[in-house]
Amino acid sequence: MSLNSLDDVISLATGAQGSNSTHVANAFKALVRKDKDGADIMLSGASGSGQDPLAILAPNIHTLPYLYILSARLATNATTVTHAVVENFCRTADPIQLRLAPDRVTLLAHGISRAADQAGSIRTAIGPLRDLVRRFPATPAHLTSVHPIFVHACVKSHYFTLALPVLQQAITEIDKNTYDLTYHTSLNYHYSAGICLAALKRFREAEEFLEIVVSSPSQGPPTAVQLDALNKLALIQLIIYGKTNPTPKYTHATLGRIFKVSPYSAFTKVYPAPTSALVGIVEKDLKTFSSDNNLGLVKQALQRAPRWAVRKLTETYVTLALPEIGKAVGIESEAEVRTMVLSMIEAGEINATLSAEGTVTFLDPPTSFTKEGIDALLEDAQTHAMLLVEFDRELERSRDFLQKAVRDREGGGPWMMEDMDMTGHSSLREAIWDEGDF
Amino acid sequence: MVASDPMATDSIAEGSQEAGWRSQARKSRDPVIVDDAHPFDLDAYISSYTGRTAVARLLHIANVCPSLAQPAYARAVRLLRESREPNTYLNTIAQHNSLSGADHIEPDKKWVDDIHNQNLSDKNKLEVELKAYSSNMIKESIRMAHRDLGDFYRMTSDNSNALKHYTKSREFCTTSQHVLEMCLSVLELLVEQQNYSHISTYIFKAEAALDAIPAQQAAPQGAATTATQSQAPKKSAEREKVQTKLDFCSALAALGVSNYEKAATGFLKLGYKGLEDWFGKLVAPSDIAAYGVLCALATLPRSALVSRLGLSQPGSSKGSSATSEPPPFAYYLEQEQYVRELVDAYVNSKFKTVLELLDRFSSRHILDINLSPHVQELTTMIRDRAIVLYFQPFASIRLDRMALAFGLPADQLEKMVVALIQAGQIKGRVDSQNKILRAKDLDQRVAMFTRAEKVGKAIQSSNHKLLLRIRLMQNDLQVPKPSLKDNKGSSLLGAVPTQMVLE
Repeated sequence: MSLNSLDDVISLATGAQGSNSTHVANAFKALVRKDKDGADIMLSGASGSGQDPLAILAPNIHTLPYLYILSARLATNATTVTHAVVENFCRTADPIQLRLAPDRVTLLAHGISRAADQAGSIRTAIGPLRDLVRRFPATPAHLTSVHPIFVHACVKSHYFTLALPVLQQAITEIDKNTYDLTYHTSLNYHYSAGICLAALKRFREAEEFLEIVVSSPSQGPPTAVQLDALNKLALIQLIIYGKTNPTPKYTHATLGRIFKVSPYSAFTKVYPAPTSALVGIVEKDLKTFSSDNNLGLVKQALQRAPRWAVRKLTETYVTLALPEIGKAVGIESEAEVRTMVLSMIEAGEINATLSAEGTVTFLDPPTSFTKEGIDALLEDAQTHAMLLVEFDRELERSRDFLQKAVRDREGGGPWMMEDMDMTGHSSLREAIWDEGDF
Repeated sequence: MVASDPMATDSIAEGSQEAGWRSQARKSRDPVIVDDAHPFDLDAYISSYTGRTAVARLLHIANVCPSLAQPAYARAVRLLRESREPNTYLNTIAQHNSLSGADHIEPDKKWVDDIHNQNLSDKNKLEVELKAYSSNMIKESIRMAHRDLGDFYRMTSDNSNALKHYTKSREFCTTSQHVLEMCLSVLELLVEQQNYSHISTYIFKAEAALDAIPAQQAAPQGAATTATQSQAPKKSAEREKVQTKLDFCSALAALGVSNYEKAATGFLKLGYKGLEDWFGKLVAPSDIAAYGVLCALATLPRSALVSRLGLSQPGSSKGSSATSEPPPFAYYLEQEQYVRELVDAYVNSKFKTVLELLDRFSSRHILDINLSPHVQELTTMIRDRAIVLYFQPFASIRLDRMALAFGLPADQLEKMVVALIQAGQIKGRVDSQNKILRAKDLDQRVAMFTRAEKVGKAIQSSNHKLLLRIRLMQNDLQVPKPSLKDNKGSSLLGAVPTQMVLE
């Protein structure tokens, strides 16, 4: 049955075949394939009877037709859609039917975001998008095309905490065909997530996300997103570690080269020098930092510079007078040094006592290893090991692997080993071995 | 490789030839002071050397030590008068005359012209010979002609041409003995030139040739004309001598490229035999003593130092060491009194004496042509090791007491100690208020737990990232190869208001 008008759509949905989702999905796909723009105009129009098709269809039963119509309307003429309809659909739609038309879900999500933006309150998009992010994927570990749109909406509206429940669920599953993914999806999601977490000052988590962006697989030159992520990553590492850590081995080499000649590299190299020297570098390249929207992070790193300098001193000294600390970290006012040292002691960043005469005594950092803590660590490691073993088995069952293994047995040659390295298989084996060594 | 080596050496040699000698290439530094506290006897020093190295050393001294420049140039001129290097002769005179307050030396024009002519005729003669042999295709003669030309150019300080002919002669070598001879000639040249980076190449070639010699002797038909049973021990002694020379070159090369540990082990295993014909010509025994001991003090652990130098451990009975054979380096140690004192002071932990001796003879070291660029670094390394060694047995020590033991001002010592702590060489912390250095008491168990936790977390995190990466690659979600489409990321990202967000 071919769909020529909205009435056909409604009769298909409500007819005998309506409950066969695959059939419906195919019908829609054929329609869109024939003439996308025409189909959207037809879908967003009115039915022959003048009745609103969305009023006839139930979002939880006729999810597919509903989705097509709704996304078409949002794409062509967003003003005809009320917020309540969108909200209702996102809350009640049937996830299984959604997965049959992932491209339309993407369209819908974009539509929701755009409509909210046009209405002047991106905030209103967060609710429906969050419902979609939760309901669309089969498990929370799956990445979907809605993820980046949702997190971006949260960042744009400054409702960072709303994104947290989603961000805390690590993404480990990628299914390109079911969830309409492109390489942008992963990059954008992790990038936006990194920014979101950085804004919440959850720098350690932000570091993880940005590192994923930086080390994303690439066949061509790196993207600007990756470079920007690397810049932010470096600044964040300065804030939490006082120095930069090397990026993973598999990071695109060009990224490192570009970074090396950037003002960020100059900044990280001297960090944590006395503030005056750092400020000089920042002022020199103020334009770059501010046009990259990194001034906020730079300022935070600057603020923390003397603290890192003090941390370094604890490794070398047992006692030190405040003026000596001030001299070492480049702060002249003794009162300022005192405030800083006090706040560091309070925050637990250093373990020290401050005497009335202004002598700081650094103590050894307290070590807290309880039996429970170690048990938790072990349990963590074991779950992780199980995960890896499962992954290993899955890989050994996979078609690609078996094909190569058979070819190798027939004398395929030594290139196979290289191939295994490329998929990370052998390194995983090592990782398991490491875990077992605990 | 053979072809590229001479090329590289050529360019280096030419660069330094412009000025006449290579010591000019050194960066000018603070002038070296020679006074009662830093004694240096030019006459005694230079009398240990002959020929080209004496001239080179004099020019180096003149270059780094203004107060000795005048006598050094004067001596160099006298020595050069005996040589076949008119250009260097004239250059040196010019430099001597440009010194303020020096007596004017008139160059011996007649001698210069004579030598020029003599050089020219010798060169022509040798080149004609080479051509004649080349057309006759007699390999051995061609080799000798190349060798003679190499010797000639070396004598007239045309290093690049000398090297060219020496390496050329290799093509016409018929026995390993000849290859070895060629390598040794080149090595002498390179050592003179202080071209340290190329020395190892020729050592490698020479060792290969050295290994090949006995094999040839075993074969009855080879070039083994004189190899009989009775001569075998003599041959192996000969072999040892050559090996010693190669060892010396390799140690010197290691010193030249600042690989002090390798240099130390190299120098310390040198024996007396084998180097006799290089003493004076290239190096003096007292130089080897200084090079070896300085490098060893800077890099070797104390136990290795004691056993290599054949010293008796402080406290152990003196008789026991007399029974065992003294190690080869002991010969060199006796050549230079202060070096011996230096070692004794170090082994007996009299670090103040060590530092005093190092300071006292710093001028002597800087004025040495090979050691000059390394003196500063070696001294620092020895001092740092001494500080680390000194602190080892203590749980805590007052800094002023420590300063006394080193003969250094307390604040300077504190700075050094702090630098060493930060470099991770001293496991301790400074009590800056009471001026006490305390050792860190590290709880190994806690350290191990901390490390295990850290590593575990790092592995989990990196595995997660790797897994995600594998998934992305399995789904072919990679950043594609460049196309006409923009590579600047999506418009989504440009809109992220980071700055406002991250204040």
